[in-house]
Amino acid sequence: MQEEANIMGRYLRRRLLTAIPVFFGITILVFCMLNLAQGSILDLMGEGSGATDADRAALAASLGLDRPLPQRYLAWLGDLFRGDLGTSYANGKQVTDLIAQRVGPSLLLTGTGVVLAVAIALPLGVLAAWRPRSGWDRAASALSLVSFGVPGFFLCLAGIFLFSVTLGWLPAHGMYAAGRFAGLPDLLRHLILPAGVVCLSSVGELVKQTRAACLETLGEDYIRTARAKGLTDRAVMVRHAFRGSLIPVLTTILSHIPHILGGSVVVEQIFGWPGMGSLLFSGISGRDYAVVMGVTVVIALAVLLTNLLLDLVYGLVDPRVRYGKG
Amino acid sequence: MRRLIALLLAAALTLGLTACGGEEQAAEPVTVRYGLSNAWDSLMPYNSPSGSNYTRIICDKIYDRLAYVHADGTLDPRGATGWESADDGMAVLFHLDEKAAFHDGTPVTAQHWADTISLITDPNCPALGRGTFSVLAGTDSNGCALEGERLGVEAVDEYTLKLTFKSPTTPEDFLLDKNRELYVLPTHLLADTDPAEVMELDLWDAPVGSGPCKFVEEIPGSQLVLEVNQDYQLGCPDFDRLVVTVIDKSNLLPSLISGDLDYYAFGGNVSVEDAETARASGLEVAEGEVPNTFYELMLNCQTIPSAQVRRAIDLALDKEALCLQSTQGLGEPTATDVTPGAEYTCSLTWQRDVEGARTLLEQGGYDGRTYSLACTSNRSGLAALMQQELDEVGINVTIETVDSAALFSGMADGKYDMAIASHTPGALPLWFTASRLSESNNIFHIADLEPYTYYIDQISASAGWEKRQVLLDKLQELLADQRPFIPLWFGRTLHVQSPTVDNIDYPSSSFSNENIWAWRMKGA
Amino acid sequence: MERGRAMEEKRLDRSPWARFRADRRAMVCLFVLCLEILAVLLLPSLLGLEPNASDLEAGFWAPPSAEHWLGTDDVGRDLLARLLSGGQVSLFIGLSSAAISAALGVPLGLLAGYRRGGWEFWIMRLADIFQTFPSIVLVLCLVTLVGPSALNIVLVLGLLGWTGIARLVYGNTLAVREQEYVLAVRALGARTGTILRRNVLPNVVSPVWCSIPLRAGRAILSESSLSFLGFGIRAPQASWGSMIQYASNLTVLTSRPWVWLPPGLCIILTVLCLAGIGDGLRDALDPRFHS
Repeated sequence: MQEEANIMGRYLRRRLLTAIPVFFGITILVFCMLNLAQGSILDLMGEGSGATDADRAALAASLGLDRPLPQRYLAWLGDLFRGDLGTSYANGKQVTDLIAQRVGPSLLLTGTGVVLAVAIALPLGVLAAWRPRSGWDRAASALSLVSFGVPGFFLCLAGIFLFSVTLGWLPAHGMYAAGRFAGLPDLLRHLILPAGVVCLSSVGELVKQTRAACLETLGEDYIRTARAKGLTDRAVMVRHAFRGSLIPVLTTILSHIPHILGGSVVVEQIFGWPGMGSLLFSGISGRDYAVVMGVTVVIALAVLLTNLLLDLVYGLVDPRVRYGKG
Repeated sequence: MRRLIALLLAAALTLGLTACGGEEQAAEPVTVRYGLSNAWDSLMPYNSPSGSNYTRIICDKIYDRLAYVHADGTLDPRGATGWESADDGMAVLFHLDEKAAFHDGTPVTAQHWADTISLITDPNCPALGRGTFSVLAGTDSNGCALEGERLGVEAVDEYTLKLTFKSPTTPEDFLLDKNRELYVLPTHLLADTDPAEVMELDLWDAPVGSGPCKFVEEIPGSQLVLEVNQDYQLGCPDFDRLVVTVIDKSNLLPSLISGDLDYYAFGGNVSVEDAETARASGLEVAEGEVPNTFYELMLNCQTIPSAQVRRAIDLALDKEALCLQSTQGLGEPTATDVTPGAEYTCSLTWQRDVEGARTLLEQGGYDGRTYSLACTSNRSGLAALMQQELDEVGINVTIETVDSAALFSGMADGKYDMAIASHTPGALPLWFTASRLSESNNIFHIADLEPYTYYIDQISASAGWEKRQVLLDKLQELLADQRPFIPLWFGRTLHVQSPTVDNIDYPSSSFSNENIWAWRMKGA
Repeated sequence: MERGRAMEEKRLDRSPWARFRADRRAMVCLFVLCLEILAVLLLPSLLGLEPNASDLEAGFWAPPSAEHWLGTDDVGRDLLARLLSGGQVSLFIGLSSAAISAALGVPLGLLAGYRRGGWEFWIMRLADIFQTFPSIVLVLCLVTLVGPSALNIVLVLGLLGWTGIARLVYGNTLAVREQEYVLAVRALGARTGTILRRNVLPNVVSPVWCSIPLRAGRAILSESSLSFLGFGIRAPQASWGSMIQYASNLTVLTSRPWVWLPPGLCIILTVLCLAGIGDGLRDALDPRFHS
């Protein structure tokens, strides 16, 4: 038992140690790229804003834009550790506060989308693997095709046109009808369309991966043994193949979270959903670097953390992982 | 394993749900849902880095302005009930509305207006957009107060505000030009604050103004909830709340049709084709009466130094086709920047002349170099059409698609040779030229501004229509000869009428003000 | 059953190319894709189509007619001409960015998996870094940095797409390097480069074949997202991704399907064909994956 705990501890330490260079890599990459990006916020004080050179210089000094890059990175990193992501150039608000307001809606939207996608992809993928070239397999292929082949913005607009404009069943934008929470039904009605698009654009990859993972496990020795024992197809599928493919599918889902969040930029922008995606979009189009850096770093760190947690779960669930090379 | 998955899923759901819910349900207030395609930035009107119309139209709700500007250039009282010239035209007296009050109940006095202007022009105050005040006596060309000089603002008595200018200015000229950038701030709440730290105040997170709406809550960049100010001096609408949501422009019309929006800024503009779609869906569409867009092709006179070449570009462009492409028939090509239908006129005309353009090109010594033409992404079709027309006479152009902020800054830096821009035209003879042909904002990179500023100063200094018209004709002749920018057309817009709200003054919203106090719910 | 097994064995005996040829679906996909490539390359000059010239007589948004088979766009340009020249751009973006990703990902994955140690640590950490970001954010930032043009978009998408492929190759290499035949060759003193090329690469590369076509399809769609966000290819060039943007206008979406349907179908058809070819290649190269 003691030794077990030791191994677990060593395993955890190793995972943490590999996460550190990744963390620095993420922060350096984000910081450099956005600082090098063309045209600083000062350019935005162009014609019509009534800003003068003096205004620009004053703003530059107040934002610390007059200091050298490495110095700014270190200062920024120090602030990051203190949970201070700086202030938005556009509205002077704390980026941390801006993000805090957006995390809930984002989690709700992407969470619902992913849960829906998993709920569709798991059974469909397993069925497709179970009976290759059957109707299920074709359905899986067709779904993947729509998911891969149709751009997200098109799904959004087609959905709005169909369900809001033509049928009038669902609201075309926003999170609440009247600007604030007014009961779960109202929220759910607003959630269906955007979450449906998030689901549809991520379900293809998941179906494909589930099917592949299931096919793989079906070829493994223990399945053959199970079959040899005389278990029915159905029992083999449900008890063994499905379970065996859960871990790879879970990995796929988690490794897709950045993509799903990225895809939600377009969805949130079109639906006016107050999440991190629309925050990122307005940050990029307004060249509000503090916000873009903040959101990107928060997403990247969240993904890093989820991966760590996932490793931990693997370690707990599957002893082989702990002893092997992580 | 199954339990684990179920647990994870449940956790994700509850996390999401708790993060955004949990409030008590109150009695249903009547809400008007207002769409906006881009976000405002700051709710402190003098701290907006973009200085965009999106910020202006939001500040228009929370803060009060002196007047209400109609699309045709006429003025209505708002913060001021009336105005008159004083000191031989060098000053204007504004008689303020005595009923006006801030949302905290404090009456708005002339002292508030005077203090606001003193604060914003204070060189220690990190205010943005103070250039507005550079017309006032005692300021430099950036709008900063000059030490040792008397600032041209004074509270004559409790409800009379006096502004003194550098050159003679009529109240109408001043308001048409500056009204949308002149707000009154709750200076009684700022009295103890160092001007250098004014922008740091928590006040701007929940601003107090004296406008027709009160701040309730905000998700910056996405949603703003406002409450109607029942005590606004001009009255109040018959709904309770205004919810402003930022949604992509592709979703504005669909949302209005599906009944998820009551109105979208600015003025529910639609193209001619979308108007058909809107009509087919049962919405009413009205046509704007006065031109509300002016398109120009900005030129960089430093990289295109020859006036002949610049005139050749003017002759090469098929303004008829360009205007038709952009306005679908709701516009008129123009040879000048003087707004048609306004008080002042211009007799210059324009006609496409490909041969003439070729001749001028030769005279101007065009060396076949490639010019860069900047435009925003929604105008890349227009730019492509221009590219073909210029190619016809032998001018090579590449198109750079950029966002509008980068477009203007790129023109100012001299990065681009040409750029397509549009503006809200004004009724004043110098609405376009005065600010652009000046040292502080020489966006066309004109080597010698002297000839232009001579006429501009003369026109602003002279009184009387006739004198000004004569000078304006001379200025326009000079512009036609030098062509530092190419006027393209004046366009009108179509306004989709709100299916739920009556009495909206759609066209005036292009001047960044809306008569929200007069809005009425239909069928109420 | 017996007969099936026999056929299966016969299939396994043949060379990969023969196995690929026997796969009817993959062959159809390859044929359609080749047809598509030929069409976008040859048809414009054969039909004398000019993608960037406005026909002001036909007018803006003209419906399909004998003169303009697919109608005209918002500035009176022939939509068929733009569909074809847009196809050149889209296929170029898709195929070359996938090729760049593979050209980077395969050697990096091989190195990391075979050399282990520092190589493994740094390459895989680099992959970790890139994979924690929503790719659209990185792409957007880089495209603003280098300026939006077809070539830059290809480079950015290609350079950022290596991680997935590297991971696949890395995982397989780890398994292969410990296998007896590799150990044997190494014991015989063969050079690392030779071992990698001769013995490891052929055994790890098959999953890459089915991920390349998917990457290509995704790159075509990424360009479409970039167009939507305003960072697409330079006007007046066309691409399928930018042409489908016309559908973001309600009027075009509802009453002019001929404008957005063809580029949309072209994208789907291309993705479908690429996926089919990928599956075929995988099955042909890796007999374990037969169905």
